[in-house]
Amino acid sequence: MKFYKYLSIQLLVILTAVVVFQSGCCTGKPPEPVPPAGYLYLSFQHVVDGNPIVFDTMIYQNEAGNPYLVSEIQYFVSDFTLWKNGQALLLDKDEDIHYVDTDIPKSLYYSPSDNIYEGDYDSLTFVFGITEEKNRSFMFVNPPESYMFWPEHLGGGYHYMKLNGKWRDTNEVVQPFNFHLGIGQTYDAQGNITGFVQNYFTVHLPASSFKIVNGLTTKAVITMHVDEWFKDPNTFDFNYWGGHIMENQQAMRAAIENGHNVFSIKFE
Amino acid sequence: MLRLKVIVPVFLLLSVLFWGCPNSKPVEPYQPTPYTIDIPKGFPTRLNIPKDNPMTVEGVELGRYLFYDGRLSGRTQPDSLMSCSTCHVQSSSFEAGINNPRFPGGIVKGLNGVATHHVMLPMINLVWNFSGYGWNGYIWPENPNPNLRNIEDMVYAAVTAKNEIDGDTTRIKNLFQSIKGYPELFGRAFGSDKVTFKNIEKAIAQFVRTLISANSKFDKYLRGEEQLNQSELHGYVLFTTEQGADCFHCHGGAGNPLFTTHLFYNNGKDTVFTDPMDRYAITGKERDIGAYKATTLRNIEFQAPYMHDGRFKTLEEVIDFYSEGLHNSPYVNPLMHHVADGGVHLTPTEKTDLINFIKTLRDDSFLTNPAFSKPDKFPDDYK
Repeated sequence: MKFYKYLSIQLLVILTAVVVFQSGCCTGKPPEPVPPAGYLYLSFQHVVDGNPIVFDTMIYQNEAGNPYLVSEIQYFVSDFTLWKNGQALLLDKDEDIHYVDTDIPKSLYYSPSDNIYEGDYDSLTFVFGITEEKNRSFMFVNPPESYMFWPEHLGGGYHYMKLNGKWRDTNEVVQPFNFHLGIGQTYDAQGNITGFVQNYFTVHLPASSFKIVNGLTTKAVITMHVDEWFKDPNTFDFNYWGGHIMENQQAMRAAIENGHNVFSIKFE
Repeated sequence: MLRLKVIVPVFLLLSVLFWGCPNSKPVEPYQPTPYTIDIPKGFPTRLNIPKDNPMTVEGVELGRYLFYDGRLSGRTQPDSLMSCSTCHVQSSSFEAGINNPRFPGGIVKGLNGVATHHVMLPMINLVWNFSGYGWNGYIWPENPNPNLRNIEDMVYAAVTAKNEIDGDTTRIKNLFQSIKGYPELFGRAFGSDKVTFKNIEKAIAQFVRTLISANSKFDKYLRGEEQLNQSELHGYVLFTTEQGADCFHCHGGAGNPLFTTHLFYNNGKDTVFTDPMDRYAITGKERDIGAYKATTLRNIEFQAPYMHDGRFKTLEEVIDFYSEGLHNSPYVNPLMHHVADGGVHLTPTEKTDLINFIKTLRDDSFLTNPAFSKPDKFPDDYK
């Protein structure tokens, strides 16, 4: 009996010591300071000649003089990066590929899950398409992203963009075009593929300085100027390039070179 | 002592009586076994399973019985029996099959002898379909009408349609309530022996969601288990290139192993559109005039006749159409970028190679899977 009484006292002492020690650990150490941070909320809009796009209506004319309409635009943007004093802050490092589809309203918004430290930022950049490092086949198994797959033998991975529409050719025939961009190919004289070309590019947005305020959401609208795909520096003529360009690196190159002027940003 | 002599027998008697009383039987708790869908490698992880109809082993078992039980028509006369399986035949990849003796040419007719408005669609991998059921997708998950959203509603539509099973839901549920064995199966699947038509819909939908094809020669090729021959490989290149046949934008490929986008396209079959049940009837958008669902190409060789109206009887006819039979119109989908030339213009060898590739999507294990087949007998031993 004496032994049990002794054991009980011992246990009580040990328990008390543990509790005191534990509570000391938790309260004694000062909490990590949480730096003030806010959020970024991006929306995507699409314009032609400065006006919101009207789909499926032959009311546009490109730089080459081709009357055209647009039915749908589907594309990937990735690697959203904030710049401050030459330092880069990559957002959503592990999940940073966003799919935009003009037929899917919820895809027209992207809010990086990362908190962004308060302060003034010089600019924002992103990648149009997906970088070589990340553009891996089969990484998207769920639609609609999986519907963007780019065939293995053409370079694999995913379409950067599908811009589908129609143009009226010189014979007044309305023809479809699939302005599809992705990994390009080089071919030998026999038509065999000899190599691949990465066509993604970084979009540097002019006048994209902005401020992040603690606890608040900074909103911005990224605009795709669709007409710019066909304009500068290359006049993209559908009558010359035809309605499909996935296997035509020259045509994709011309389009990609025009891509640098396609996007703009406006902070609200 | 006398009191004890009376009490003991009375107690024993009561015990025996209560022991035999059916009401005293302990109630089995409703504990269905979750049914897990094994997602094949590369397939979507997002499944179209409604929250109010989770998959269970018991639900799938019941659904399989109902799928095959001709009394689903609510009738018992031999000439009035009809179930899902009357038209959806496993050996024909759950279509009627063009050589079906009951439905010549694969054109299915309801109990009233009238053909359905469109021909059948494949019943394959529907658990991954979020874009609508039917050729025009009139049943889809976000439909404002809550009765037109999923496979469950498709079951109701098929069972009650005049030119399909033409059933009366009250009569059907009463009939199954009276068939020995079925109420117990409903109890195990849904927690109540009372047969409801809602639970009939749910059970059949659960079974249909198990109908998965992922073991074709092409699947094995992707898994490194089998090699494609030169013709098949060349056919796959044609399938996935714009300068070839360019099938993949609508019908998938390695990166979209469903072999469909489940979306709707006007593929250039006609220049005049009069069908009141095209995609336009659902969306009211001009671009959807004459548009229909792109079907999966899995097991497509068993799914003749082809197109929504069954105008093509063979795969060769379909390939000829895409090669040189396209018609341009204001409504043709932009993905049909060869339409102004009348098609993709394949050589005879290319056509053969393309068909040889498409036939690598044949999945014999799907056609013979015992889990998908007619049960040996129904719960009441009816065969």
